[in-house]
Amino acid sequence: MKLSQGFRMSWHSILANKLRTFLSMLGILIGVATVISLVAMGQGSSNEVEKSLQSLGTNMLSVNIMGRGSVTTLSLDDAVHLADGIEDIEGVAPIVSGNAAVKYGTTESASVSVEGITPDYETVKDFKHQSGRYIVPLDVSNYSRVALLGVNTAADLFGSEDPTGKTVLLNGVRFKVVGLLEPKGSSLGGSNDDKVLIPITTAQRLFQSAGIRSISVKVAEEDKMAAVVSQIEAKLAELFRGNTDSFNVFNQQDVKDTMSSISKTMSMMMAGVACISLVIGGIGIMNIMLVSVTERTREIGIRKSLGAKKRDILVQFLIEAIIISGMGGLAGIGLAYAACYAMTHYFEMATEIKANIISYSFVFSAAIGILFGIFPANKAASLKPVDALRHD
Amino acid sequence: MREHAASGSGDVLISIRDVRKAYRMGSEEVTILRGVNLEIRQGDFVAIIGPSGSGKSTLMNVIGCLDTPSSGSYTLDGMEVSGLSDNKLAEVRNRKIGFIFQSFHLLPKLSAIENVELPLIYRGLSNKERREAAVKALQQVGLDGRMGHRPSELSGGQQQRVAIARALATHPPILLADEPTGALDTRTGKEVLGLIEELNSAGHTIVLITHDLEVAARAKRVVFMNDGILTEERGDGREAVARVQNVMAQHSGQQA
Repeated sequence: MKLSQGFRMSWHSILANKLRTFLSMLGILIGVATVISLVAMGQGSSNEVEKSLQSLGTNMLSVNIMGRGSVTTLSLDDAVHLADGIEDIEGVAPIVSGNAAVKYGTTESASVSVEGITPDYETVKDFKHQSGRYIVPLDVSNYSRVALLGVNTAADLFGSEDPTGKTVLLNGVRFKVVGLLEPKGSSLGGSNDDKVLIPITTAQRLFQSAGIRSISVKVAEEDKMAAVVSQIEAKLAELFRGNTDSFNVFNQQDVKDTMSSISKTMSMMMAGVACISLVIGGIGIMNIMLVSVTERTREIGIRKSLGAKKRDILVQFLIEAIIISGMGGLAGIGLAYAACYAMTHYFEMATEIKANIISYSFVFSAAIGILFGIFPANKAASLKPVDALRHD
Repeated sequence: MREHAASGSGDVLISIRDVRKAYRMGSEEVTILRGVNLEIRQGDFVAIIGPSGSGKSTLMNVIGCLDTPSSGSYTLDGMEVSGLSDNKLAEVRNRKIGFIFQSFHLLPKLSAIENVELPLIYRGLSNKERREAAVKALQQVGLDGRMGHRPSELSGGQQQRVAIARALATHPPILLADEPTGALDTRTGKEVLGLIEELNSAGHTIVLITHDLEVAARAKRVVFMNDGILTEERGDGREAVARVQNVMAQHSGQQA
């Protein structure tokens, strides 16, 4: 028998048994579609996590000062000079933060996060302004009542109006808006766009807090992080006279590592679920293939009695299995794309389909389909025709 | 082996000598054929008769190369068949034997002509040759008007004709019919039998297996199978059947 003839015979048989073909394909289709979309979901959420981690900055340290009791905290001067004598520090940004009600005219915004900063904040946090000007050293030394607005806060208060030059009230105190920050999205600490930045000295007055409780430190290189952390700790220990409970130095890389490992675990879990569904899909394929070949033993007997060799039977079943598995697999990939599209557009879930997952699941399902199409067919084709014919 | 005046005049096609067949059923060995000898010549029309369980189906399976004997020699058209590989046997079935089964054994999803073409596919003929041969075979059985119909759309008699056309399409030296009328009503059974007779007069060698003595009476030669042993009946089908009927009557008389 020629191969082209075998192909035609198989195609004929596939078309002649639509229900059987459909059921065989269904197992593969569901297996492939489930795996691809589950892994795509896992990948999507891990991408999301990755994105929000990116905004943390990898070379950032944050120093938190708890102080001894309520009195002893770091003074602004100490904070600004924290980096002195330590190499590889690119910038230090002490921050005084609090919440304040912001009011413009009659429009009052709910409580907004207000941060008192030094000009270094811009480089340390990599958070620039898009119009107007930034906080300058003179603002800090003069206790100026000037403010930079985050984009959301500006939109809340001014709508489409340009806020620069306008006057807002922070907890009833008048501040002149000198600039508008660029949009930055949200990071772990909350939205960066619902924010007001004012000079640090002004903030100390506004919130009536003398000490500095939070300092962001930017390290020059990522691999110097550990060294810088220990030097800062040593310096702070000296300042607090050995009381290491009064402060902690928080390495953002640690957070990032933790988050990555969580997201990795999630992905692994998704992949595990996907594997299980692939196996279940495989069992489905196996069942329908086994049943269909058993059902076709008589057909095999008839074909053998008419002169079909074992090889002819196997070629026919192999081609059938390849076509069914292939079509099922392709339909599964299509379904997975549709499912991911639906998840992204209707449920706003992030998904990312990876090419290697497509090929793994396709190859796996197709291999199962072919294996379990061929294995029982081989058994039936090895029967003596008389035994196969007797099969009802 | 004796020569038989009533048998065909041509060359020896089938020569079976001391063929035995035993099955293992569980721990017991059941002997079905106990040393069968049979010679069939070109142009013969042989009926193998016998009660059910006598081993005639097993003999037919051996003749048709659907089953292999446990021992003994079987020469088909000058070729020793016992001991051939599976693949060789498939080729022998394809080239030497046309099967006509009791339950037709047509593939339900294929049309009449596709069913007839099936053995030709396995022979490796081109599309055109195949179609020509299949059409010719269907014409021969008077079914050229229903080539595109599936078996389920044909009557029992028509299905058996398709099966006969399928057997004829490869021009095998031997047509092997296992109870060809068993699943048909009397009238269509007679028609099919008439067709088989015609084929015999056209020169086809026919081996027919039946337990129906009326069917056997149409054959030129009758062999009687009982309990795994084959006995040749002298004379033509009609005489032989008459004798067998006597024997069978005595048998049942004794049993009663």
